[in-house]
Amino acid sequence: MKPDRTTIEVIHGSLIYAAEEMGIALKKSAYSPNIKERMDHSCALFDLERRLIAQAEHIPVHLGSMALGLKLGLSAFTGSLEPGDMILLNDPYLSGTHLPDLTLIAPIFYGLDLVGYAANKAHHTDIGGKAPGSIAGDSTELYQEGLIIPPVKLLKAGVVDPEISLLICSNVRTPEVQMGDLRAQIAANITGIRRMLELIEKYGLETVKASMEEIMANSERRMRAAIAMMPSGSYTATDYLEDVAGSLAKITVTVTIDTDKILFDYAGTSPQVEAPVNAPLGVTIAGVYYTIISVTDSSIPINDGCFRPIILRVPEGTLMNPRRPAPVAGGNVETSQRNVDVLMKAFSQVLPDRVPAAGLGTMSNVSLGGAHSDGSPWTFYETIGGGSGGRPISDGVDGVHVNMTNTMNTPIESLEAYLPMHFDSYSLRPDTGGPGKYRGGCGIERSWTLTAPKAVLSILAERTKIQPWGLQGGKPGALGEYIIIKKIGEEVKLTSKCTVTIMEGDRLIIRTPGGGGFGNPLLRNRDDVVRDIENGLISLEAAERDYGYKLP
Amino acid sequence: MNLILFEAVLTLPRIAFFRMFRISIDVGGTFTDLVAFEERTGQLINLKIPSVPRNPEKGVTNALTMFLLDHPPNTIKILGHATTIATNALLGQIDLDLPKSAMITTKGFRDVVEIGRQRRAEVYNLFFQRPKQLISRKNRFELDERIEQNGLITKPIEYNELAILLENIKTQGVESLAIAFLNSYANSKHELKVAEEARKIFKYVTASCEITNEYREYERFSTAIVNTVLMPIMSRYINCLISDVKALGVDIPIYIMQSNGGLSTASLISVKPCTVVESGPAAGVIASAWIGKLTGELSVISFDMGGTTAKAGTVRGLIPEVVPEYEVAGQIHMGRILKGSGYPVRFPFIDLAECSSGGGTITWADNDGTLKIGPISAGAFPGPACYGRGGNTPTITDANLLLGRLNPKSLLNGEMIIYPEKAKTALETLSRKVSMDLEETAVSILLIANSMMGKILRIVSVERGYDPRDFSIVAFGGAGPMHVCALADELNVKRLIIPPNPGMFSALGLLTTDLFHDYTYPVIRKFSDVMPEDYEKAYLEMKKEAVTTLTNENVTEKKMKFYRQADIRYLGQGYELPISIPSKVTMETVKEISSSFHAKHLEAYGYSSPKEQLEVINLRLRAIGVIPKPKIRTRNRITKTEPREKRPVFFESLGWVDTPIYERTTGIWKNTILGPAIVEQYDATTVIYPDWVAKMDQYGNLILRRDIK
Repeated sequence: MKPDRTTIEVIHGSLIYAAEEMGIALKKSAYSPNIKERMDHSCALFDLERRLIAQAEHIPVHLGSMALGLKLGLSAFTGSLEPGDMILLNDPYLSGTHLPDLTLIAPIFYGLDLVGYAANKAHHTDIGGKAPGSIAGDSTELYQEGLIIPPVKLLKAGVVDPEISLLICSNVRTPEVQMGDLRAQIAANITGIRRMLELIEKYGLETVKASMEEIMANSERRMRAAIAMMPSGSYTATDYLEDVAGSLAKITVTVTIDTDKILFDYAGTSPQVEAPVNAPLGVTIAGVYYTIISVTDSSIPINDGCFRPIILRVPEGTLMNPRRPAPVAGGNVETSQRNVDVLMKAFSQVLPDRVPAAGLGTMSNVSLGGAHSDGSPWTFYETIGGGSGGRPISDGVDGVHVNMTNTMNTPIESLEAYLPMHFDSYSLRPDTGGPGKYRGGCGIERSWTLTAPKAVLSILAERTKIQPWGLQGGKPGALGEYIIIKKIGEEVKLTSKCTVTIMEGDRLIIRTPGGGGFGNPLLRNRDDVVRDIENGLISLEAAERDYGYKLP
Repeated sequence: MNLILFEAVLTLPRIAFFRMFRISIDVGGTFTDLVAFEERTGQLINLKIPSVPRNPEKGVTNALTMFLLDHPPNTIKILGHATTIATNALLGQIDLDLPKSAMITTKGFRDVVEIGRQRRAEVYNLFFQRPKQLISRKNRFELDERIEQNGLITKPIEYNELAILLENIKTQGVESLAIAFLNSYANSKHELKVAEEARKIFKYVTASCEITNEYREYERFSTAIVNTVLMPIMSRYINCLISDVKALGVDIPIYIMQSNGGLSTASLISVKPCTVVESGPAAGVIASAWIGKLTGELSVISFDMGGTTAKAGTVRGLIPEVVPEYEVAGQIHMGRILKGSGYPVRFPFIDLAECSSGGGTITWADNDGTLKIGPISAGAFPGPACYGRGGNTPTITDANLLLGRLNPKSLLNGEMIIYPEKAKTALETLSRKVSMDLEETAVSILLIANSMMGKILRIVSVERGYDPRDFSIVAFGGAGPMHVCALADELNVKRLIIPPNPGMFSALGLLTTDLFHDYTYPVIRKFSDVMPEDYEKAYLEMKKEAVTTLTNENVTEKKMKFYRQADIRYLGQGYELPISIPSKVTMETVKEISSSFHAKHLEAYGYSSPKEQLEVINLRLRAIGVIPKPKIRTRNRITKTEPREKRPVFFESLGWVDTPIYERTTGIWKNTILGPAIVEQYDATTVIYPDWVAKMDQYGNLILRRDIK
């Protein structure tokens, strides 16, 4: 019997709320700043068929990949899961992102019956490998990137396996932090299990199951209706990654809209590379999901149903669906952003009044590590926002994260108190937003000086050679740059992907890209040009050059 | 609109002479409530008049004028006040334009407040916007100075540079100035020095460390800026208020409710206005704590359902739960503030979960024909369709009316006519869109609204690790007592308290609290490195400041109380837990601190790690200036209540039932009422569900219990 619509609506709200509550439990008890301050984690609930039912809105790049991780990661455990078990994995070829993202999956048992899963994924600050932070800019194969964990039972009948813990502790630089964060991940899943069981207790298993079917069917209907509104046809777009084994790597996608279905075909994309920018399939899928939701109707509840009208073709052995052991550390963070740029470019031909110009298109990953004076290791990882693209009805936003990430910055006062870093600036970069009727957002300058004897620095970034594109006559946003000013005054320009050693007194200057502009800059509202000049976000020269502005 | 005058409780004959009143005035969006408490006799007077949204202080003087019709000015001893003016100014209400403000910050960091935490509030919305900058970039100035995390000054202030800068800012026509430097939590010297110079030129100056001296620059800077833009508005408001009240012949101290649930003198609020942003909602929770104490309930959930929103808070051991920080003027999603949608203010806020489910909240159908509730509210005008003021969209109130829960003729003791046919027409239109019949539509509205409100109750209980079965719910606001039984059924709560005047309950909170001042001393050191004498030195320093402030508020030392707390976490964790600190820290009692942390962590997150190192982030001192509380007398007019009439009312479990309707009067009922039943009164309607029984206690509270057969 189909439950009434009100019951379905109430159960749906409770499921979303349960996923959110998992996120809160995780964040509050986590150790690493990456989770506690930056919220680099995601939580979700799945049904028995491992279909996504509800997600908490944390990091888009995690979610498409979590569904895949459940399907592939659990296949070895069919029939052998018991109440209290939890499966841990980080193998990107199964769990879909990169090694620092640890996925923890808990089966939910109602009595003795398996009824679904609670799962979460959290970015750990270190999982071993050649560089502190495990996001080296120069790896050539997966094995250099850190400890690879296949799906294993971290918890058996509610008890953490000491041997697996020991194995992890022996392979990472800051084991206490990793163990603390794993405990928080366990707490999150326990919360999810509890809430799901409460729902079943209250409404009965059959009603909950039937409601979940209907929740997914509803999203499917809405997504099909949204797709059906688009003009049928094929739309192709291409964009590039830079500094990949010395050259450019191409991502091409053809989006074909066929009444209420949509096909994404990546034919034409470069083969996989010996550089850490290969995107495991989970990352590629996440980008497709993110794009389709944000260009259609972001109020459609996100679950398995939204994705049923989607057909994917990603040739194996390419940048967007590599074969083991291609390195993948940056696929999740950099290639995933470019993937969305390419997808958005294709959709800009279909939905010109829905799609913004390109945002900064990089997460500007900075990893740093070294040893304290007592020899104990420290690691640090952060990503830095920039300009979002100009939009059909409004300017881009200055200094913000776009698309596949939404992690927070770490407070400077927190970093200076705990790590050997002294900050010199954190500001918006004038004249970096792409000129347009609606200007692109400005990039960020963030710079600091090392106050420890030495440290290993890894940069993994993009858009230092190819600017974020504008749309409909809007101009591209400014490039990013990464510079070290040595203590002795020498200036070294870093490439977008590198691992280097820096010394005390060396200063790193990070300048992130601006977003592309939207529409002809000459049509920009004069008051807005004047406001930007007054606010110092556009120089007078740039206003004259790009906007045809003349001093009154 | 008619001026509504109402005296709800008159327990004793009027003797104008010897009476001394303590008065509280709560200015809300729709109504201004005045509660007067006579200390000697225990008499309570309630007045309700319409608010004056454009001139909120007029609401105060109107209410006071009304009160003074019957009582001479010299009978008023103290005036407590809750106001929404700060929130409304930040939400961009017209007539409350923010003043031209500027900021001086450390060179290289003027965009810290604009970048914020670099995240967007809505992940999948390509058209997201940041909240508007309260101080635009051109008015954020940099000074070449630097203090390190250990408090060391590595770049001293150049006074020539400062003088030129201040002069320059002055010529821009700036009215209010914020000063916020990096690491000022570790050494406030630069901020205070610049503030001292600035005060020679500007009337309104805020140094970040004067408001909050905790680390994390964005949140501290943001707090300073919110304070800066509110300062001129709040000063003017308070000055107006003081002189208007004086003009009525009432020369008494005025106290304002802060977001932490304590009062502060009006003049202090003029310089720290960011402390009153959530003034009104805090009052309701405080009143709940008080009534909990009165009725012997140490742990209560406060549930306030008014015209536009529903709010929930928790009180444990008589103490309302607080959060150390809040994003003001932010958007709410599923009970919580969307991170990044508002302006962070670091100050203790009574912890509230909120959802858009008030009596006036509009219900509608989305494109898919799914029934939705809120967030838009019909407010007081046009209000629910059944008010007959031109509103034609159905609201939660209309659904309650259709299901027989509200009086179908009139509300407010007959002063407000109700038009059931208008509610019906509005709901019929909606029911076609959602393909349900009329009754099903109305029932679904209540079910969905209750499910939303159930979630906010869970946020403040289950999510914090508390079992709602251990709590009683205090239900108030005009609509709270109508929905509370359904919510209690969902959360398994067995006992409910409906105060005598649910619609005016919040104002009572102002009479039942004390003067609160909160102080923070940043530490950020390993627990093992903080010696007992370090604690004592810090608390002594804070206490000295507190004593000065309270003395200025005319509090005698006997009436001062101090509570010590510390924010502690496992070394490396990101969130602290507040832990009580013994009144004297010694080598012995230090151990109590760590063991209570481990225990609290276990309670909050399900695990503790007693072998791991702890870290002390802040020491906190709350200084309290005790104000005598109303001693509510028990009432001795015992009556037996009989139903006034019967009418069909719909209950989820029974369908339509011919239900007895009672009228709530001032006497104490000696008989028990069995659900299903309805209790009507001037400012609220209580719906008693099947399986619930209601009794009245000696204070006139309705106590509902689930009847366990």
